[in-house]
Amino acid sequence: MTLEIVVLIKVVPDGKEVFVDPVNFTLNRSMATNVLNPADENALEAALRIKDEHDARITVMTMAPPFAEPFLLECLSRGADQAVLLSDRAVAGSDTYPTSLTVAAGIKHLGNVDIVFAGEKTSDSSTGHVGPGVAEFLEAELASYSRSCKYEDGYVIAERELEEGVEVVKIPTPAVVTVVTDSNIPRRATLRKKLDAQQKGIIVWSLQEIGVEADWVGLRNSPTVVKKMLPFPTRERKNKVIGVDNLDDFVKELAEVGVLKTGGN
Amino acid sequence: MTEIKRADPPQDVSEYKGIMVYLDSFDGALTRAALEMIGVGRKMADKINETLIGAVIGENTKGMAQEAGMYGCDEVYGFDSKELAMYRSKPFSDILANLVFEKKPNILVVPGSKNGRDLAARIAVKVRSGLTADCMEIDVEPENRILIARRPDYGDSTMSEIRCEKHRPQMATSRPGTFETPVPDSKRKFQVDVREVKLEKNQLKENILSFNRKTEEDITGSKVIVSGGLGMGKPEGLDLIRKLSNLLGGSVGVTRPIADLGWISRDHQVGQTGQIVRPNLYIAAGISGKPQHIVGMMDSKVVVSINKDPDAEMNQFADYIIVGDLYEVIPKLIESIERVTGANPSAA
Ligand SMILES: Cc1cc2nc3c(=O)[nH]c(=O)nc-3n(C[C@H](O)[C@H](O)[C@H](O)COP(=O)(O)OP(=O)(O)OC[C@H]3O[C@@H](n4cnc5c(N)ncnc54)[C@H](O)[C@@H]3O)c2cc1C
Ligand SMILES: Nc1ncnc2c1ncn2[C@@H]1O[C@H](COP(=O)(O)O)[C@@H](O)[C@H]1O
Repeated sequence: MTLEIVVLIKVVPDGKEVFVDPVNFTLNRSMATNVLNPADENALEAALRIKDEHDARITVMTMAPPFAEPFLLECLSRGADQAVLLSDRAVAGSDTYPTSLTVAAGIKHLGNVDIVFAGEKTSDSSTGHVGPGVAEFLEAELASYSRSCKYEDGYVIAERELEEGVEVVKIPTPAVVTVVTDSNIPRRATLRKKLDAQQKGIIVWSLQEIGVEADWVGLRNSPTVVKKMLPFPTRERKNKVIGVDNLDDFVKELAEVGVLKTGGN
Repeated sequence: MTEIKRADPPQDVSEYKGIMVYLDSFDGALTRAALEMIGVGRKMADKINETLIGAVIGENTKGMAQEAGMYGCDEVYGFDSKELAMYRSKPFSDILANLVFEKKPNILVVPGSKNGRDLAARIAVKVRSGLTADCMEIDVEPENRILIARRPDYGDSTMSEIRCEKHRPQMATSRPGTFETPVPDSKRKFQVDVREVKLEKNQLKENILSFNRKTEEDITGSKVIVSGGLGMGKPEGLDLIRKLSNLLGGSVGVTRPIADLGWISRDHQVGQTGQIVRPNLYIAAGISGKPQHIVGMMDSKVVVSINKDPDAEMNQFADYIIVGDLYEVIPKLIESIERVTGANPSAA
């Protein structure tokens, strides 16, 4: 039986091209181009590695405006079999609750899915909520923060990278796996597959097609609301310039303010 | 197609009272991040005169529940089962969600550790409420008991203030290290309620096969951190950084580009996408001071910047600024420290 795998991707601004203006300390986004969210590249690679070993079909899916299409084609060129774009005006401004809901509905609409891969987090919003949220909506098992995983007879075995160490868990399918950034080296697209990708094209579903009501999503139906933007908080600092030839006094001062103990005690 | 199930939103938000804190634990002990969140919850509870409710899940939670009381909780609920010795996504989120349905807290704060974030994201869906991740500031507005959650914006030098007005509980996580841990008080009065839980088979599908403890040091608890940035120019610069940090009994930190280069493991990266640290002494050498780095160290008690550029942004965030080449300054500083402290300057 063919394993059905879904990989969730998001298109984000390229972190390397986001500059902070040195003069007025603000962000210069005008230079920023879009990229595939870094962790999602690793999520796709994790899925492709399972497909290397098993009879599997990979569907990449994103909820986004049509500008995400070239990125879906890129995923097809790397070896995904099918691409789905969940696109609807009504989702604009959704926070992670409606996003997880819509993506989960898209997955359900596909039919029986064995494994869903997501990134551990996006580099722009960086919440990491969507993967676990999707697992909850699908009532699926979850292995978050996975740095490697394999499939064996109806189970996913995943290494979870935690603060205290690495945990190996075994969960039955259907399962959601969220993949840690930089946990593998994503393969490149091949020319042949690029041509195939153009042939295959992209499946576009509206909310109506996946059974999601417009008043479940979007800015107005998101539980969280951004109320305002504030300048970055600063702390009072002494800003005292120390001469390189006067370091003994400086070290004494550090001891006096209590961040360094002096001799013998 | 099977339908997507959604929880009902609250009919009347005023029914929701009190502040709940989820108490993350590892190996039978509360994590530092859990204690930090007790501190955050306590401040809010005092401000609006409400109860701080702790929730801890594990094999044997009584001791941890009492500790949480000493750190500032008024009521602590423990949930015990042999099967809960280690975090498991499904039973933990089921148990906490049930407690939320039972107690109806107005606010729920969760430590933003990996497991905490896993749990919080699931709870937000179970109870259908709003969750704000990675908050740097968490507060409550006394007039309307609305949670004010502030988080840094992507790659930017601003923060967003995020609210959740129509759903309950209002939820937030913060990265471990963001807040100070409160001081425990053994005379505090509190109530502990430990419950034995019986789990169902479908809650126990996750099987933990093994756990390998990390050997890398954890820099988040260090009293002194000496960090190097791209100004080091070459990997040998880290030897100098390490020498100074060893002398001060501290740890080594780096900026993201240094971790990207692979000169040292990512556990040492300080900043928005690394560790949040608040040592007594933070020495930044060859670091320009971009906001993504600053958010990781801005609450350090005393900050020193060593930079050859007198106008480096880092200097604005420093108490002491030493202008010069770090390859000249650090050896001289080491000499001075040895001279002044008798070569034994254990960190205060
Ligand atoms: C989404 C996002 C997340 C990020 N997360 C993080 C994060 O978690 N942590 C982080 O650190 N960065 C992070 N960054 C990167 C951050 O924006 C900066 O690029 C980075 O902090 C700069 O590192 P640096 O100070 O080492 O290098 P530079 O900016 O190149 O600064 C080098 C400094 O060294 C000084 N210098 C050069 N030679 C010497 C010498 N011989 N002696 C003394 N001084 C010298 C220079 O004057 C300069 O000030 C992130 C960026 C993005 C977009
Ligand atoms: N709009 C979206 N469409 C599809 N997948 C998404 C979307 N947003 C987030 N994800 C997935 O969820 C992961 C975590 O995202 P986040 O919760 O936003 O940090 C990402 O790495 C993606 O795999």
